Amino acid sequence: MHRYPRWPIHAALILVSVAMLLPFYWVLKTSLTGENIFAYPPSLLPQGIQPFFYVDAWYAIPFARFFLNSVLVAAMVIVANLIFNAAAGYALTKQFRGKTAILFVLLSCMMIPFQATIIPAYLITAELGLLNSYLGLALPAFSHIICIFIFKANFDAIPPSLIQAARIDGVPEWKILLRVMLPLAKPAIATNVILSFIWSWNDFLWPLIIIRDVQMQTMPLGLSTFLAYFEDTTGALYAFCVMVLVPGLLIFLLAQNQFIQGLTSGARKG
Amino acid sequence: MATEALSARDAARPRRRLFRRQRHREAAFVWCLLLPALAIFLLYRLIPLGWNFLLSFQFWEPTKPAEFAGLYHYEEMFVYDDVFWQALGNTFVYMAMAPISIVAALVLALLVDSRIRGRGVYRTIIFLSYPLMAVAVGVIWRWLYDGKVGLFNYILRSAGLIDAPIAFLETFATAMPAVIVAAIWQIVGFFMIILLTGLQSIPQHLYEAASIDGASRFRQFWRITLPLLRPSLFLCFVIGIIASFTSFDLIYVMTNGGPGHATELLITYIYKVAFTLTQFDYAGALTVVMFLLFLGVALLGNLLAGGEAGKVDITE
Repeated sequence: MHRYPRWPIHAALILVSVAMLLPFYWVLKTSLTGENIFAYPPSLLPQGIQPFFYVDAWYAIPFARFFLNSVLVAAMVIVANLIFNAAAGYALTKQFRGKTAILFVLLSCMMIPFQATIIPAYLITAELGLLNSYLGLALPAFSHIICIFIFKANFDAIPPSLIQAARIDGVPEWKILLRVMLPLAKPAIATNVILSFIWSWNDFLWPLIIIRDVQMQTMPLGLSTFLAYFEDTTGALYAFCVMVLVPGLLIFLLAQNQFIQGLTSGARKG
Repeated sequence: MATEALSARDAARPRRRLFRRQRHREAAFVWCLLLPALAIFLLYRLIPLGWNFLLSFQFWEPTKPAEFAGLYHYEEMFVYDDVFWQALGNTFVYMAMAPISIVAALVLALLVDSRIRGRGVYRTIIFLSYPLMAVAVGVIWRWLYDGKVGLFNYILRSAGLIDAPIAFLETFATAMPAVIVAAIWQIVGFFMIILLTGLQSIPQHLYEAASIDGASRFRQFWRITLPLLRPSLFLCFVIGIIASFTSFDLIYVMTNGGPGHATELLITYIYKVAFTLTQFDYAGALTVVMFLLFLGVALLGNLLAGGEAGKVDITE
């Protein structure tokens, strides 16, 4: 294995890494300098670092409000997903009449991309009176099918003897789920939290459709609205862009392995 | 596993008979657990799909009663709507993103898989762009492509490759490739991780046996790595196909389908028809076509993969 020199591999990977990081660097550089962003040639290194564009962006947009909106919606989605998916996943570990039909329905629903339902979904949300509301933003994402199956797989791996023992002790079914199954399903819980967080956090099309009020916008929608109003004439756009990216990046770097694992198992998002 | 569960059930049978009422209670319990999730899927998947289908055969506007339209919208779409055909063609062109990023991801996965120092860092850096908000990614790439002072123009001009700056996203010939490059940048790390997982599940002893038999590195790659990587490769392919039907955010931010309709995908066109022109009925018909196409391509991909593409542990 050691016959080959390593430096070409390192050279190639460093080159790719630079290419992957360059866009981040460039937007960060632009956002930090407060320079005339349309000067040519652009400076490659940040010159005279100052937070001008960040201050500008902070006063131009209700960033805290956007952030709060995103957090609130994501929190609702995460909690709902944990409850709904753990419950449904547990139900699917049992034998009951109609199980095949339910599995069939779930697997078919997985083949329906959300993008193919936006028009009636909008009309339904309007009927429910949920346009422009947090619940309206979160409701369609309250359960992800792939996450149900992730819970089911995790529950299936728990030794049946444990459940039998609990049953013989007379523990009621719902308590078995809460006290025996859930504590043993931590990987599924982590995957659920990560997937539902990231899909809600990054979601753009749905907020774009149902939110009309600036005060209700989530961060991606706020960013795109800012872009629509100011085009790319101001460096504040890039400061805003960095502010929008930082929370997600931080969370990713903190829980990197769980993220990678979760996203890989959620690859077949329906 | 399965036999174990069966015998457990057999053992419980006499008791179950005694407690028939309990069994009913258990069934009720199971349905209660399923109900919330099923309600969501009914409300936001099944009903919309059916409604959408109906809508496509109707003349309908908000606040007006629906009228039967037959195939009117479909005729309009297939015979008269040039933008539809363009969006359809663009969607297929955009799919080119899948094979390109898969090849790139395979090379990267092989490089990262070799036992070198710092491969964890490389992996993180290459994956970093995937979980990010596509809207922000679009803003970043718009700026890189900027027609006057963008980084790419600066690099190309400094290298003497072009004389005048190119407005990449506003030029018909370059807009689509430019968007595709951004899409590849975002997804390649994810494909790399999937392929890496595939690579690491290939038993090492196959390579040892092959090298004892005197097979060259290249031959090993061709005869062992690639065939055993097939499920992972097809999973990437299916994800890439899905992405080309659903990547709305990036296009919306970078070009909004322009210039003209040069980067219009089906999904961006549907959005415009429905929510800018408020022709919900016609957009419904467009959605039906997009959905059927999506199903067709996804099933074809699955078939080619031997039905194993993206198989998750769902069936028993």
